[in-house]
Amino acid sequence: MGHSDSSDGARRPLSADRRALLRLGAAGVSTVVTIRPALAQTAASVLTCEIPVPDPARAGDFIAADGSLVPTDTPGAFRPSARPFTGEEVKAALTGRSLPGVDHQRSRAYTNYIRRLQQGTSGFTCYASLQMPRA
Amino acid sequence: MRWALGARTALKRVPLDMLTACFDRRSGMTHLLAAPAPELLAALAAGPADIALLLARMGIADADAEERAGLEAHLAALEAAGLVVRA
Repeated sequence: MGHSDSSDGARRPLSADRRALLRLGAAGVSTVVTIRPALAQTAASVLTCEIPVPDPARAGDFIAADGSLVPTDTPGAFRPSARPFTGEEVKAALTGRSLPGVDHQRSRAYTNYIRRLQQGTSGFTCYASLQMPRA
Repeated sequence: MRWALGARTALKRVPLDMLTACFDRRSGMTHLLAAPAPELLAALAAGPADIALLLARMGIADADAEERAGLEAHLAALEAAGLVVRA
């Protein structure tokens, strides 16, 4: 059986340390702490997070059918959304359903815009959160 | 009453200074283990065991009631974390 050094330099058998550690259990000392991923919290915040179409910094632009931003009143392009969409709404749209309150073509343009979001653009974090797999 | 390790196939262990971090890929949970939890898991790695056999594997002879109760408590905590199961 090996030995270990205690703080005063005396050598104690390892088994004595192990006995002391076992007694900690009887004293109610916890030696296991479990950190759970905050998936429930994450799910709630993802579903209510918002994605504006387009980014407020580009509020003057229209959205082309492919999701790119084009100058106002460009033929065939769609005006900005009156309100941001929630993560839950976008999640449903990504699986084929329309965004609420807009027709199918406009919804597809908006969805294409969202798919093009880059880091630094408003709504990117919300959109990226939708991509995370659930455990 | 015998104890055994829970399913280990998805566990990744990372030794830290005073603790061992144990990441379970299936659940995404991270268990931080302090002594003697890692030693208990190591003692169970050789196969299911009851309290007496576990003590023997840990090199502890003639454990008193408090030490046995402590071991039971540590095992219960590991069971609650899903790291050991009753066999």
